Amino acid sequence: MRRWLALRLAIATGIIIVVMSVVFALARVTE
Amino acid sequence: MRTSTLRGAIWLVGYLLIVLGPLFALLAGNWPTVRDFWTEFSVAIAYSGLAMMGLQFGLTARFRHVTEPWGEDVIYYFHRQVSLIAVGLVVVHPLIMFFAQPALLALPDPFEIPWGAVFAFISVFAAIALVVMALWRAELGVRYELWHLSHIALAVIAVVFGFLHMVGWSFYLTDPWKRALWLGLAIAWLVLFMYVRLFRPLLMLRRPYRVVEVRTERGDSTTLVMRPDGHAGFRFRPGQFGWLTVWGSPFRITANPFSFSSSAELPGGQVEMTIRKLGDFSGAADRIAKGQRVFLDGPYGAFTIGNPADMHVLIAGGVGITPMMSMIRTLADRRDRRPVILLYGNKDWDAATFREELDSMKERLDLTVVHVLSNPPDGWDGERGFIDAALLRRHLPKEYAEHEYFICGPGPMMDAVEVALGELGVPLSKYHSERYSFV
Repeated sequence: MRRWLALRLAIATGIIIVVMSVVFALARVTE
Repeated sequence: MRTSTLRGAIWLVGYLLIVLGPLFALLAGNWPTVRDFWTEFSVAIAYSGLAMMGLQFGLTARFRHVTEPWGEDVIYYFHRQVSLIAVGLVVVHPLIMFFAQPALLALPDPFEIPWGAVFAFISVFAAIALVVMALWRAELGVRYELWHLSHIALAVIAVVFGFLHMVGWSFYLTDPWKRALWLGLAIAWLVLFMYVRLFRPLLMLRRPYRVVEVRTERGDSTTLVMRPDGHAGFRFRPGQFGWLTVWGSPFRITANPFSFSSSAELPGGQVEMTIRKLGDFSGAADRIAKGQRVFLDGPYGAFTIGNPADMHVLIAGGVGITPMMSMIRTLADRRDRRPVILLYGNKDWDAATFREELDSMKERLDLTVVHVLSNPPDGWDGERGFIDAALLRRHLPKEYAEHEYFICGPGPMMDAVEVALGELGVPLSKYHSERYSFV
């Protein structure tokens, strides 16, 4: 279960970082 | 909101700020020429991936306040899994660039390849090798010590060359303050690395321990009794562990993690570790001589008693008894009157380390010991097989969610017990487990 907790934490981190990278790119191209 | 949930949320927000803050800082000040969406996205994930890779030095630096909200084991698993994401982002970056700008694929003369591209290639190659070695160390037959050394070297190469690639290309770093920000970040990663590999070993070198007794225990195990040599030692909480270096200096990558098995109330900073012969370093534990100088780095781990609980349920498999022994001895020394139930799984009766002492502990503590043998002798009328939900139901008071659970043992046993506790409706916050097979 604690391994799943770490996995969920890592996946959530990955998703947030990819989404924020999209936000970054959109901020750049829609100046 | 529970304090532990709040601390976990703060931890995650802090992590994301450290990774994403320097990226979004690039949006301030002067902007370089705007390119297409995919190129910008690919650059963003590369910056984030590199920041995540650099921050790995912090995750594994054994800072107690960093690991405590989740526990050492969760942080190590997070370190492993988040590194796959970080390396994935770094590898996808050039693929998207090639897709967005196919002209990049038309490489010039080999002697005219820009240094930035060479650095990128080295960084990506090192990152991929790092992941392959971490995921398949056992299958590749690489010894732990050699793997650890290569892991550190590849991590440093991946991060340093990734940083050089970023600075070499310099697209976003034309503003001096942005260069300073990212350079500062890289220096912080380097400082973390130096702290772990240089500063802390130096501290350990000045605080050695001496083995004052070597006890042979039942179940192919050896207990090392160690006392601080010329210093006061440290205080630990029962269930915590330390990194032990026996042969060589603390600068060598030969430390192995072991739980303290002694009471946390022993005077004079004395600590004990009980090591079962399982191969690698532990196979040579009985060759350690009385009087030997050793180095201890610790204490670490959030696998420890101290939360409010009506009773403690300790579930141990094999050598997983060592942190439980520390808890039992400490609770006895503190004259704790709360009930303790120990469910102790072993292959056979002879392998049950500490079984005589556990028997005698019942006089000092409200302790119930349930031995579970997978290969019981003839005439055995105790529990047999493995610890599962049915066995937990047979031996635990029904207020399952009120007890505090501690689980330590072989991976498959811990997986099974964690599933069984889930079936009994025990919330995740009420049980603690510690795994040492990090790699």
